[in-house]
Amino acid sequence: MVLKLYGMPVSTCTRRVATVLVEYKVPFEFVSIDVAKGEHKSAAYLQNQPFGQVPYIDDDGFILFESRAICRYIVDKYPAPAGTTPLVPSDIKGKALFEQAASIEYSDFEPYAYPAVREKVFKAMRNLPTDQAVYDSSIETLDAKLAGYEAILGKQKYLAGNEITLADLFHLPYATLLAKAGSDLMTTKGPNVTRWYNELCERPSWNAVKDGAKSFSSY
Amino acid sequence: MVLTLYGLAAPLGGTATVAMTLAEKGIPYTFVSVDLQHGEHKQPEFRKKQPFGLVPALDDDGFVLYESRAICRYLAEKYAGQGPTLIPTELKAKALFEQAAAVEFANFEPHARAAYNEGVLKPHFNLPIDASALNTCISKLSDNLDVYEVILGKQRFLAGDEFTLADLFHVAFGTTLAEAGCDLMTSKGPNVKRWWKEVTSRPAWLSVLNSGIKTTMCEDDAFKSGVSEP
Repeated sequence: MVLKLYGMPVSTCTRRVATVLVEYKVPFEFVSIDVAKGEHKSAAYLQNQPFGQVPYIDDDGFILFESRAICRYIVDKYPAPAGTTPLVPSDIKGKALFEQAASIEYSDFEPYAYPAVREKVFKAMRNLPTDQAVYDSSIETLDAKLAGYEAILGKQKYLAGNEITLADLFHLPYATLLAKAGSDLMTTKGPNVTRWYNELCERPSWNAVKDGAKSFSSY
Repeated sequence: MVLTLYGLAAPLGGTATVAMTLAEKGIPYTFVSVDLQHGEHKQPEFRKKQPFGLVPALDDDGFVLYESRAICRYLAEKYAGQGPTLIPTELKAKALFEQAAAVEFANFEPHARAAYNEGVLKPHFNLPIDASALNTCISKLSDNLDVYEVILGKQRFLAGDEFTLADLFHVAFGTTLAEAGCDLMTSKGPNVKRWWKEVTSRPAWLSVLNSGIKTTMCEDDAFKSGVSEP
Protein backbone atom coordinates (compact mmCIF):
# COMPACT_ATOMS: atom_id res chain seq x y z
CA MET A 1 0.00 0.00 0.00
CA VAL A 2 1.38 3.42 -0.88
CA LEU A 3 2.43 5.67 2.00
CA LYS A 4 -0.22 8.23 2.92
CA LEU A 5 0.65 11.70 4.22
CA TYR A 6 -2.20 13.41 6.07
CA GLY A 7 -1.83 17.16 6.43
CA MET A 8 -2.64 20.63 5.21
CA PRO A 9 -1.11 21.55 1.83
CA VAL A 10 0.55 24.78 2.95
CA SER A 11 1.28 23.77 6.55
CA THR A 12 4.93 24.23 7.47
CA CYS A 13 5.27 20.81 9.08
CA THR A 14 3.41 19.05 6.28
CA ARG A 15 5.73 20.56 3.66
CA ARG A 16 8.73 19.59 5.80
CA VAL A 17 7.72 15.94 5.43
CA ALA A 18 6.78 16.27 1.75
CA THR A 19 10.23 17.72 1.01
CA VAL A 20 12.00 14.67 2.42
CA LEU A 21 9.63 12.22 0.70
CA VAL A 22 10.48 13.92 -2.60
CA GLU A 23 14.23 13.98 -1.75
CA TYR A 24 14.17 10.22 -1.31
CA LYS A 25 11.79 9.71 -4.25
CA VAL A 26 9.23 7.89 -2.13
CA PRO A 27 5.82 7.66 -3.81
CA PHE A 28 3.07 8.93 -1.55
CA GLU A 29 -0.57 9.91 -1.53
CA PHE A 30 -1.38 13.25 0.03
CA VAL A 31 -4.64 13.44 1.96
CA SER A 32 -5.77 16.94 2.80
CA ILE A 33 -7.12 17.54 6.31
CA ASP A 34 -9.65 20.36 6.62
CA VAL A 35 -7.93 22.29 9.39
CA ALA A 36 -10.16 25.34 8.86
CA LYS A 37 -13.16 23.17 9.79
CA GLY A 38 -11.33 21.61 12.73
CA GLU A 39 -10.99 18.16 11.21
CA HIS A 40 -7.65 17.76 13.02
CA LYS A 41 -9.49 17.93 16.33
CA SER A 42 -12.14 15.36 15.43
CA ALA A 43 -12.36 12.14 17.43
CA ALA A 44 -11.40 10.14 14.33
CA TYR A 45 -8.30 12.23 13.72
CA LEU A 46 -7.25 12.16 17.37
CA GLN A 47 -7.11 8.35 17.15
CA ASN A 48 -4.11 8.76 14.88
CA GLN A 49 -2.60 12.03 16.15
CA PRO A 50 -3.66 12.47 19.78
CA PHE A 51 -2.29 16.03 20.02
CA GLY A 52 -4.60 17.15 17.20
CA GLN A 53 -1.77 18.46 15.01
CA VAL A 54 -0.79 17.94 11.39
CA PRO A 55 0.79 15.99 9.75
CA TYR A 56 0.92 12.25 10.31
CA ILE A 57 1.66 9.34 8.01
CA ASP A 58 0.07 5.94 7.55
CA ASP A 59 2.71 3.62 6.12
CA ASP A 60 0.77 0.47 5.39
CA GLY A 61 -0.89 0.58 8.80
CA PHE A 62 2.10 2.04 10.70
CA ILE A 63 1.01 5.44 12.03
CA LEU A 64 3.62 8.06 12.86
CA PHE A 65 3.38 11.76 13.74
CA GLU A 66 5.75 14.69 14.45
CA SER A 67 7.22 15.91 11.15
CA ARG A 68 10.88 15.48 12.15
CA ALA A 69 10.25 11.94 13.40
CA ILE A 70 8.53 11.11 10.11
CA CYS A 71 11.46 12.54 8.12
CA ARG A 72 13.94 10.49 10.18
CA TYR A 73 11.84 7.34 9.58
CA ILE A 74 11.87 7.93 5.83
CA VAL A 75 15.66 8.31 5.81
CA ASP A 76 16.01 5.22 8.01
CA LYS A 77 13.72 3.07 5.89
CA TYR A 78 14.66 4.02 2.35
CA PRO A 79 18.07 4.12 0.69
CA ALA A 80 19.38 7.50 -0.42
CA PRO A 81 18.83 8.00 -4.16
CA ALA A 82 21.77 6.93 -6.33
CA GLY A 83 24.58 9.44 -6.36
CA THR A 84 23.46 11.23 -3.20
CA THR A 85 24.69 11.02 0.39
CA PRO A 86 22.18 9.97 3.04
CA LEU A 87 20.39 12.81 4.81
CA VAL A 88 21.45 11.29 8.17
CA PRO A 89 25.09 10.10 8.45
CA SER A 90 25.70 6.60 9.75
CA ASP A 91 29.22 6.90 11.22
CA ILE A 92 29.14 7.66 14.93
CA LYS A 93 30.83 11.08 14.87
CA GLY A 94 29.06 12.23 11.71
CA LYS A 95 25.77 11.16 13.27
CA ALA A 96 26.57 12.99 16.52
CA LEU A 97 27.31 16.20 14.60
CA PHE A 98 24.02 15.72 12.74
CA GLU A 99 22.19 15.36 16.07
CA GLN A 100 23.90 18.52 17.28
CA ALA A 101 22.71 20.37 14.15
CA ALA A 102 19.20 18.90 14.45
CA SER A 103 19.08 20.07 18.05
CA ILE A 104 20.25 23.56 17.05
CA GLU A 105 17.30 23.76 14.66
CA TYR A 106 14.63 23.10 17.28
CA SER A 107 16.42 24.84 20.17
CA ASP A 108 18.03 27.89 18.57
CA PHE A 109 15.95 28.53 15.44
CA GLU A 110 12.36 27.30 15.62
CA PRO A 111 11.48 28.74 19.07
CA TYR A 112 12.14 32.22 17.65
CA ALA A 113 11.27 31.87 13.96
CA TYR A 114 7.92 30.25 14.74
CA PRO A 115 6.49 32.99 17.03
CA ALA A 116 7.63 35.69 14.59
CA VAL A 117 5.89 33.91 11.70
CA ARG A 118 2.83 33.11 13.82
CA GLU A 119 2.33 36.74 14.83
CA LYS A 120 2.85 38.35 11.44
CA VAL A 121 1.77 35.66 8.96
CA PHE A 122 -0.55 33.06 10.51
CA LYS A 123 -2.52 35.47 12.69
CA ALA A 124 -2.80 37.98 9.86
CA MET A 125 -4.17 35.22 7.62
CA ARG A 126 -6.90 34.58 10.18
CA ASN A 127 -7.56 38.27 10.89
CA LEU A 128 -6.40 37.88 14.48
CA PRO A 129 -4.64 40.70 16.32
CA THR A 130 -0.84 40.40 16.22
CA ASP A 131 1.50 41.03 19.14
CA GLN A 132 4.28 43.28 17.88
CA ALA A 133 6.26 42.87 21.13
CA VAL A 134 6.39 39.09 20.67
CA TYR A 135 7.51 39.53 17.06
CA ASP A 136 10.19 42.06 18.01
CA SER A 137 11.67 40.02 20.84
CA SER A 138 11.60 36.82 18.77
CA ILE A 139 13.45 38.48 15.90
CA GLU A 140 15.93 40.05 18.31
CA THR A 141 16.79 36.65 19.76
CA LEU A 142 16.85 35.00 16.33
CA ASP A 143 19.29 37.68 15.17
CA ALA A 144 21.62 36.79 18.06
CA LYS A 145 21.26 33.06 17.40
CA LEU A 146 22.09 33.47 13.72
CA ALA A 147 25.49 34.80 14.80
CA GLY A 148 26.17 31.21 15.90
CA TYR A 149 25.04 29.97 12.49
CA GLU A 150 27.30 32.52 10.76
CA ALA A 151 30.29 31.18 12.73
CA ILE A 152 29.49 27.53 11.97
CA LEU A 153 28.75 28.11 8.28
CA GLY A 154 32.01 29.97 7.81
CA LYS A 155 33.87 26.71 8.48
CA GLN A 156 31.66 24.19 6.72
CA LYS A 157 29.06 24.10 4.01
CA TYR A 158 26.12 22.85 6.05
CA LEU A 159 25.12 22.70 9.69
CA ALA A 160 26.36 19.17 10.35
CA GLY A 161 29.41 19.23 8.09
CA ASN A 162 30.06 19.48 4.38
CA GLU A 163 27.08 17.42 3.27
CA ILE A 164 23.47 18.49 3.47
CA THR A 165 21.41 16.68 6.09
CA LEU A 166 17.87 16.71 7.47
CA ALA A 167 19.05 19.35 9.95
CA ASP A 168 19.43 21.89 7.13
CA LEU A 169 16.18 20.91 5.38
CA PHE A 170 14.19 21.16 8.63
CA HIS A 171 14.73 24.93 8.57
CA LEU A 172 13.07 25.57 5.23
CA PRO A 173 9.38 25.86 6.12
CA TYR A 174 9.82 28.60 8.77
CA ALA A 175 12.94 30.23 7.33
CA THR A 176 11.15 30.89 4.06
CA LEU A 177 8.25 32.59 5.85
CA LEU A 178 10.40 35.09 7.72
CA ALA A 179 10.49 37.50 4.80
CA LYS A 180 6.70 37.42 4.64
CA ALA A 181 6.68 38.12 8.38
CA GLY A 182 8.77 41.21 7.72
CA SER A 183 12.29 40.03 8.53
CA ASP A 184 15.11 39.70 6.00
CA LEU A 185 17.52 38.13 8.51
CA MET A 186 18.13 35.03 6.38
CA THR A 187 19.75 37.17 3.67
CA THR A 188 21.17 40.02 5.73
CA LYS A 189 22.64 38.43 8.85
CA GLY A 190 25.91 37.52 7.17
CA PRO A 191 27.40 36.12 3.97
CA ASN A 192 27.61 32.54 5.27
CA VAL A 193 23.99 32.31 6.42
CA THR A 194 22.91 33.95 3.15
CA ARG A 195 24.90 31.47 1.06
CA TRP A 196 23.50 28.50 2.99
CA TYR A 197 19.93 29.80 2.94
CA ASN A 198 19.93 30.57 -0.77
CA GLU A 199 21.30 27.12 -1.55
CA LEU A 200 18.57 25.47 0.51
CA CYS A 201 15.92 27.51 -1.28
CA GLU A 202 17.13 26.15 -4.61
CA ARG A 203 16.70 22.54 -3.54
CA PRO A 204 14.47 20.85 -6.17
CA SER A 205 12.63 18.82 -3.52
CA TRP A 206 11.63 21.99 -1.67
CA ASN A 207 10.57 23.70 -4.87
CA ALA A 208 8.36 20.74 -5.76
CA VAL A 209 6.28 21.22 -2.60
CA LYS A 210 6.82 24.77 -1.39
CA ASP A 211 3.55 26.03 -2.84
CA GLY A 212 1.60 23.11 -1.42
CA ALA A 213 2.12 19.45 -0.60
CA LYS A 214 0.55 17.04 -3.08
CA SER A 215 0.66 13.38 -4.10
CA PHE A 216 3.64 11.98 -6.00
CA SER A 217 3.01 8.62 -7.64
CA SER A 218 6.33 8.44 -9.50
CA TYR A 219 9.55 10.39 -9.93
CA MET B 1 41.00 9.40 27.85
CA VAL B 2 38.04 10.28 30.02
CA LEU B 3 35.16 12.42 28.78
CA THR B 4 34.96 16.01 29.99
CA LEU B 5 31.56 17.57 30.62
CA TYR B 6 31.40 21.37 30.79
CA GLY B 7 28.34 22.88 32.41
CA LEU B 8 26.37 23.98 35.43
CA ALA B 9 26.48 21.85 38.55
CA ALA B 10 22.76 22.02 39.29
CA PRO B 11 20.00 19.41 38.96
CA LEU B 12 18.20 21.18 36.16
CA GLY B 13 18.56 21.82 32.43
CA GLY B 14 20.93 20.41 29.88
CA THR B 15 23.94 19.66 32.07
CA ALA B 16 21.80 17.58 34.43
CA THR B 17 20.25 15.76 31.47
CA VAL B 18 23.71 14.72 30.28
CA ALA B 19 24.82 13.84 33.82
CA MET B 20 21.79 11.55 34.18
CA THR B 21 22.64 9.79 30.91
CA LEU B 22 26.28 9.35 31.96
CA ALA B 23 25.02 7.80 35.19
CA GLU B 24 22.50 5.53 33.39
CA LYS B 25 25.30 4.18 31.23
CA GLY B 26 27.94 4.03 33.96
CA ILE B 27 30.36 6.28 32.08
CA PRO B 28 33.12 7.95 34.09
CA TYR B 29 33.72 11.62 33.35
CA THR B 30 35.53 14.76 34.41
CA PHE B 31 33.26 17.68 35.23
CA VAL B 32 34.35 21.26 34.62
CA SER B 33 32.08 23.90 36.07
CA VAL B 34 31.38 26.87 33.80
CA ASP B 35 30.94 30.13 35.70
CA LEU B 36 27.56 31.18 34.32
CA GLN B 37 27.10 33.83 36.97
CA HIS B 38 30.11 35.71 35.66
CA GLY B 39 29.30 35.09 32.02
CA GLU B 40 32.07 32.63 31.31
CA HIS B 41 29.84 30.87 28.77
CA LYS B 42 29.58 34.04 26.69
CA GLN B 43 33.34 34.59 26.48
CA PRO B 44 35.18 33.97 23.18
CA GLU B 45 37.20 31.15 24.77
CA PHE B 46 34.08 29.14 25.63
CA ARG B 47 32.42 30.04 22.35
CA LYS B 48 35.16 28.09 20.58
CA LYS B 49 33.50 25.00 22.05
CA GLN B 50 29.90 26.23 21.88
CA PRO B 51 29.28 29.01 19.34
CA PHE B 52 25.90 29.91 20.87
CA GLY B 53 27.47 30.52 24.30
CA LEU B 54 25.34 27.89 26.06
CA VAL B 55 26.03 24.97 28.36
CA PRO B 56 26.62 22.05 28.36
CA ALA B 57 29.40 20.89 26.04
CA LEU B 58 31.22 17.58 25.90
CA ASP B 59 34.84 16.93 24.96
CA ASP B 60 35.48 13.29 24.09
CA ASP B 61 39.21 13.13 23.57
CA GLY B 62 39.14 16.17 21.31
CA PHE B 63 35.74 15.49 19.74
CA VAL B 64 33.60 18.39 20.95
CA LEU B 65 29.82 18.17 20.97
CA TYR B 66 27.09 20.44 22.33
CA GLU B 67 23.27 20.46 22.68
CA SER B 68 22.36 18.18 25.60
CA ARG B 69 20.06 15.87 23.63
CA ALA B 70 22.70 15.40 20.91
CA ILE B 71 25.30 14.60 23.58
CA CYS B 72 22.95 12.05 25.19
CA ARG B 73 22.22 10.43 21.82
CA TYR B 74 25.97 10.19 21.11
CA LEU B 75 26.59 8.56 24.51
CA ALA B 76 23.70 6.14 23.97
CA GLU B 77 25.15 5.09 20.63
CA LYS B 78 28.82 4.99 21.61
CA TYR B 79 28.09 3.00 24.77
CA ALA B 80 25.28 0.91 23.33
CA GLY B 81 26.81 -2.20 24.83
CA GLN B 82 26.54 -1.15 28.47
CA GLY B 83 23.69 -0.11 30.70
CA PRO B 84 20.09 0.28 29.47
CA THR B 85 19.36 0.62 25.72
CA LEU B 86 18.32 4.23 25.59
CA ILE B 87 17.51 4.35 21.86
CA PRO B 88 15.84 1.39 20.09
CA THR B 89 17.48 0.08 16.92
CA GLU B 90 14.60 -1.67 15.12
CA LEU B 91 13.05 0.54 12.41
CA LYS B 92 9.53 1.00 13.79
CA ALA B 93 10.55 1.04 17.47
CA LYS B 94 13.13 3.69 16.60
CA ALA B 95 10.51 5.74 14.71
CA LEU B 96 8.21 5.64 17.74
CA PHE B 97 11.16 6.74 19.89
CA GLU B 98 11.78 9.68 17.52
CA GLN B 99 8.07 10.54 17.72
CA ALA B 100 8.24 10.61 21.53
CA ALA B 101 11.51 12.58 21.47
CA ALA B 102 9.90 15.12 19.14
CA VAL B 103 6.86 15.40 21.43
CA GLU B 104 9.22 16.24 24.30
CA PHE B 105 10.86 19.21 22.59
CA ALA B 106 7.71 20.37 20.77
CA ASN B 107 4.95 19.84 23.34
CA PHE B 108 6.62 19.64 26.75
CA GLU B 109 9.89 21.57 26.97
CA PRO B 110 8.75 24.97 25.64
CA HIS B 111 5.99 25.21 28.25
CA ALA B 112 7.98 23.65 31.10
CA ARG B 113 10.90 25.95 30.39
CA ALA B 114 8.61 29.00 30.15
CA ALA B 115 7.06 28.04 33.51
CA TYR B 116 10.54 27.69 35.02
CA ASN B 117 11.69 31.05 33.63
CA GLU B 118 8.56 32.81 34.86
CA GLY B 119 7.95 31.02 38.15
CA VAL B 120 11.47 30.22 39.37
CA LEU B 121 14.09 32.35 37.61
CA LYS B 122 12.27 35.66 37.85
CA PRO B 123 11.76 35.54 41.64
CA HIS B 124 15.37 34.38 41.95
CA PHE B 125 16.44 37.65 40.31
CA ASN B 126 13.85 39.64 42.29
CA LEU B 127 11.77 40.28 39.18
CA PRO B 128 7.96 40.29 39.38
CA ILE B 129 6.17 37.21 38.08
CA ASP B 130 3.75 37.74 35.20
CA ALA B 131 0.90 35.62 36.54
CA SER B 132 -0.92 35.62 33.22
CA ALA B 133 2.15 34.40 31.33
CA LEU B 134 2.76 31.70 33.94
CA ASN B 135 -0.85 30.54 33.74
CA THR B 136 -0.69 30.39 29.95
CA CYS B 137 2.29 28.05 29.79
CA ILE B 138 0.91 25.86 32.59
CA SER B 139 -2.41 25.67 30.78
CA LYS B 140 -0.73 24.61 27.52
CA LEU B 141 1.32 22.05 29.39
CA SER B 142 -1.84 20.75 31.03
CA ASP B 143 -3.54 20.26 27.65
CA ASN B 144 -0.55 18.31 26.35
CA LEU B 145 -0.30 16.22 29.50
CA ASP B 146 -3.92 15.18 28.90
CA VAL B 147 -2.53 13.40 25.86
CA TYR B 148 0.36 11.93 27.85
CA GLU B 149 -2.28 10.51 30.22
CA VAL B 150 -3.87 8.67 27.28
CA ILE B 151 -0.56 7.43 25.86
CA LEU B 152 0.75 6.27 29.24
CA GLY B 153 -2.45 4.35 29.90
CA LYS B 154 -1.55 2.06 26.99
CA GLN B 155 2.20 1.68 27.46
CA ARG B 156 4.73 2.00 30.23
CA PHE B 157 6.93 4.72 28.74
CA LEU B 158 6.56 7.36 26.05
CA ALA B 159 8.09 5.37 23.18
CA GLY B 160 6.74 1.97 24.20
CA ASP B 161 7.31 -0.37 27.11
CA GLU B 162 11.01 0.36 27.51
CA PHE B 163 12.60 3.43 29.10
CA THR B 164 14.33 5.58 26.50
CA LEU B 165 15.98 8.98 26.19
CA ALA B 166 12.54 10.37 25.28
CA ASP B 167 11.48 9.82 28.91
CA LEU B 168 14.85 10.91 30.30
CA PHE B 169 14.74 14.26 28.45
CA HIS B 170 11.73 15.28 30.55
CA VAL B 171 13.39 14.95 33.92
CA ALA B 172 15.67 17.94 34.28
CA PHE B 173 13.00 20.54 33.43
CA GLY B 174 10.02 18.57 34.65
CA THR B 175 11.37 18.48 38.18
CA THR B 176 11.52 22.30 38.31
CA LEU B 177 7.77 22.61 37.71
CA ALA B 178 6.89 22.02 41.36
CA GLU B 179 9.14 24.92 42.32
CA ALA B 180 7.25 27.08 39.79
CA GLY B 181 4.04 26.23 41.66
CA CYS B 182 2.84 23.63 39.17
CA ASP B 183 2.03 20.11 40.39
CA LEU B 184 0.83 18.75 37.05
CA MET B 185 3.34 15.90 36.96
CA THR B 186 1.63 14.32 39.97
CA SER B 187 -1.90 15.70 39.70
CA LYS B 188 -2.73 15.36 35.99
CA GLY B 189 -3.79 11.73 36.20
CA PRO B 190 -2.78 8.31 37.52
CA ASN B 191 -0.83 7.35 34.39
CA VAL B 192 1.33 10.47 34.21
CA LYS B 193 1.83 10.23 37.96
CA ARG B 194 2.94 6.58 37.73
CA TRP B 195 5.29 7.32 34.84
CA TRP B 196 6.74 10.42 36.46
CA LYS B 197 7.43 8.60 39.69
CA GLU B 198 9.18 5.77 37.83
CA VAL B 199 11.29 8.10 35.74
CA THR B 200 12.37 10.35 38.61
CA SER B 201 13.09 7.40 40.91
CA ARG B 202 15.71 5.95 38.62
CA PRO B 203 19.06 5.54 40.42
CA ALA B 204 20.75 7.68 37.75
CA TRP B 205 18.56 10.70 38.61
CA LEU B 206 18.85 10.12 42.34
CA SER B 207 22.63 10.11 42.01
CA VAL B 208 22.48 13.51 40.24
CA LEU B 209 20.30 14.84 43.07
CA ASN B 210 22.16 13.28 45.96
CA SER B 211 25.77 13.31 44.83
CA GLY B 212 25.56 16.32 42.55
CA ILE B 213 27.20 16.80 39.18
CA LYS B 214 30.92 16.32 39.60
CA THR B 215 33.87 14.37 38.31
CA THR B 216 32.86 10.75 38.66
CA MET B 217 35.25 7.86 38.33
CA CYS B 218 34.52 4.14 38.30
CA GLU B 219 35.48 3.61 41.91
CA ASP B 220 33.12 6.33 43.18
CA ASP B 221 30.02 5.28 45.08
CA ALA B 222 28.01 7.77 43.04
CA PHE B 223 29.01 5.89 39.89
CA LYS B 224 28.00 2.49 41.24
CA SER B 225 24.71 3.70 42.66
CA GLY B 226 23.79 5.53 39.45
CA VAL B 227 23.93 2.62 37.04
CA SER B 228 20.44 1.26 36.45
CA GLU B 229 19.68 -2.34 35.66
CA PRO B 230 19.43 -2.71 31.87
